[in-house]
Amino acid sequence: MNNAQQTIRVGLFFLLGLALTWVTYEALSGGGFFSKNKGYSIVAGFESLKELKEGDEVRMAGVKIGVVEKTRLAGRRAEAILRIGKDFSIPRDATASIIMAGIIGTNYVGIDLGSADAPPLAPGAEIRTKVTPDINAIMTELGNLGQRLEGALGAFGNSMNGDGKNPGLFQKLDRLVTENSTKVDTTLSNLQDITTKLNRGEGTLGKLINDPALHDELVATVGEIRSAATEAKSFVADAQGILAQVKSGKGPLGTLVYDETTASDLRATVTNLRQVSDKLAKGEGTLGKLINDDGLFNTAQSTLRKADRALDGLGDSGPLTAVGIVANSLF
Amino acid sequence: MKQILSVLEGVGSTWLLLLRAASYVGTLPRQRTRFFEQCYLIGYTTLPIVAILSFFIGSVLALQAGYSMQNFGAKQFIGSLVGLSMARELGPVMVAILLAGRVGSAITAELASMKVYQEVDALVTMNIPPARILVLPRLAAVLAMVPVLAIIADLVGWFGGAIVAKYVAFISIEPEAYFTALRRFMKFKDVMNGLIKAECFGFVVTLVCCNIGLNTRGGPREIGAAVTRAVVVSLILILVLDYFVTKVLM
Amino acid sequence: MPGPSQTRNPFTEHETPAVSVAIEGLSKSFGNRVVLDQVTFSVQPGEIFVLMGPSGSGKSVLLKHVIGLEQPSGGRVQVDQYDATAEETREKVRMAIVFQAGALFNSLTVYDNLALYLREHDLASEDGIREKVGRALQILSLEGAAEKYPSELSGGMKKRVAIARALVMEPQLLLYDEPTSELDPVMSATISEIIALLKNEYHVTTLVVSHDRDLALNIADRVGILMDGRLIFLGTPADLREPKDPRVAAFLYPQIDLQNPRYKQLET
Ligand SMILES: Nc1ncnc2c1ncn2[C@@H]1O[C@H](COP(=O)(O)OP(=O)(O)OP(=O)(O)O)[C@@H](O)[C@H]1O
Ligand SMILES: [Mg+2]
Repeated sequence: MNNAQQTIRVGLFFLLGLALTWVTYEALSGGGFFSKNKGYSIVAGFESLKELKEGDEVRMAGVKIGVVEKTRLAGRRAEAILRIGKDFSIPRDATASIIMAGIIGTNYVGIDLGSADAPPLAPGAEIRTKVTPDINAIMTELGNLGQRLEGALGAFGNSMNGDGKNPGLFQKLDRLVTENSTKVDTTLSNLQDITTKLNRGEGTLGKLINDPALHDELVATVGEIRSAATEAKSFVADAQGILAQVKSGKGPLGTLVYDETTASDLRATVTNLRQVSDKLAKGEGTLGKLINDDGLFNTAQSTLRKADRALDGLGDSGPLTAVGIVANSLF
Repeated sequence: MKQILSVLEGVGSTWLLLLRAASYVGTLPRQRTRFFEQCYLIGYTTLPIVAILSFFIGSVLALQAGYSMQNFGAKQFIGSLVGLSMARELGPVMVAILLAGRVGSAITAELASMKVYQEVDALVTMNIPPARILVLPRLAAVLAMVPVLAIIADLVGWFGGAIVAKYVAFISIEPEAYFTALRRFMKFKDVMNGLIKAECFGFVVTLVCCNIGLNTRGGPREIGAAVTRAVVVSLILILVLDYFVTKVLM
Repeated sequence: MPGPSQTRNPFTEHETPAVSVAIEGLSKSFGNRVVLDQVTFSVQPGEIFVLMGPSGSGKSVLLKHVIGLEQPSGGRVQVDQYDATAEETREKVRMAIVFQAGALFNSLTVYDNLALYLREHDLASEDGIREKVGRALQILSLEGAAEKYPSELSGGMKKRVAIARALVMEPQLLLYDEPTSELDPVMSATISEIIALLKNEYHVTTLVVSHDRDLALNIADRVGILMDGRLIFLGTPADLREPKDPRVAAFLYPQIDLQNPRYKQLET
């Protein structure tokens, strides 16, 4: 390649660099429109500029009309010098405030439209300002609400879930179902084993069961167990109803349920309730099986006796406890 | 001990070379052919690789930023992140590293072979100081070309980031939003900062590579060793200088 | 070959005073290897001094001291009244050296190799340069090679380009390191003639390192023989024809004895 060509390329390359630098400069300095030698500036005094910094936008009714040129302390207050584009005029009765655009420190100065017939602010004049609550204040307020809510809901949660010492209703049930599952399973398979034998009429017990009188007794007992379980279900449904109300924001509690801990507490409680009732309804777990499995018509007599005894106490200890006793007696 | 001495010797001879070269600045107008030739080699021919690399560095920055930021909803700051890191750090450092690898090694190889094959001796006997015709045009060319490379690296990197931000599904940020974010947290000062850094790196890399080339002793085998040394020293210097120049410019 | 009468003076437009070279007790060691040991001789203004000696005896190293590329370990070298190692010497005295390996600028064409000195020191216009370079190329039969790069030349051509480059510099002191090795007999004779011409017409002080016995005997004013870093002979070509020192005789007129080769003598 000859020298002249090389020189031309280098020259063009250099010019390209200069042009790009200039373009970058224009783009990053806010462009010619808002640059220092254009537009005019006004002063806005605040008690605190909060997170406002130089270069932040000035918007009027959401439209960018300038930038924060400078921030400074003036006596007992903070001042922001706002550089406004020369095409925009601000009514004298317009009010400026510092507005958060995002949680992570992006702010702008918002100016409202003022009234149409007010004379415009002169360059260098001071604009009226007002204080807006900043995000920190809102956060603190929210925190307080949350604490109160926690207090209110704590008691409710305890009664359902139990406090540290005494397990609540749901926990008892839940534990019953989950912790003993292996035990229950073996018992059940044993039972099943026995029932097969019984069905075939083997042994004394088999005969016992083939006796129609006894059969009736069995059916009646199991029916009672069933109705107890239904009551348990309806109680659970009631609890769910209350919670749903809270959740959907009804009632004084509902409006406050934005606090994380309380909300999750509630959610956990509801989930527990649901799990228990689901298990019962679907026939999962020992209790469910006990309630739904028709095979239990053929349960051994001793077991039935225990159940019988338990059902006697149903009146005073409430349906759920009764179910618990039934389940307990199986092990 | 020997190592320390050789490092000191290197530092000293580099400064001497700089002073020598600087004393011939007046001859630059007469050396414009050589200057343009070096500009061409240092700037123009390095452009493609600078563009390719900075494009992908910008893209990767946007991708990584998008990936880590999507979890806490700060995706709209990708533009600022790519813009600032490209302009203040990655643009200049990348240009300097490419310069060390592509231009610095070539300079050392050329000067070392001139030294080994006695061309440098011939120049000295002709009373043509190597610092004047071999070093000065290169230094001047690097000063003229590096800012151009750096600003191109910055812009290409930004656009790389913008493209990734728009077309990668889990980021999906419009270029407009990307560049608004980029402009919100950046001043021209940041770009200027980067250009000054690049200028420092480029200058030091070129000077050191010239010096190592001219101080090569022995046979052709030493040429390879000199090139390796030059590149290694350049890379170390870039990263060490990076810290101090950044500190000073803050 | 264009003789002095046919050729216009291609080199010196003006008379420059001839310079002398004085080497006094010059010693040089690389590490603990002593290459030059107390060498003392001088070259008179306008004289041709031929330095001979076996390979590795330190001739090239000595030339580098004269041109200031090496620092003596002991003793000193003076060119005219200047110290050879001082940088100003090169500005005061115009010196040129033809390196043993040529040392051409590989990135420049033959023409630019020759023109570089003139251009860098602004000694002639481009037209003037073209004329001078053209003449130097013509003298060394290199007209066709002007636009070639050194890598495209044969060994002998490179040597001639190196000589041409030195001639273009119009030096007061000219050092040749084996100018006729690698050249055919006719070209060797041409080089010898050029060296003699430069001395006779323009009083260029010349120091030639050479193994070329014909060159030494025909054009030298004085001859020195360097062996193992010491100067073992200093005299006129006439003295050389009947050397008294057996070492000199053995060096200058070696017998080729196929029955009893030297490498076998060395083994015993
Ligand atoms: N830079 C150097 N470092 C170490 N040793 C060197 C150096 N230069 C030359 N020598 C040694 O000095 C001795 C003389 O070298 P020099 O090149 O002067 O020989 P010479 O007489 O020119 O031989 P020749 O006729 O083969 O060119 C050699 O043994 C060589 O190994
Ligand atoms: Mg030699």
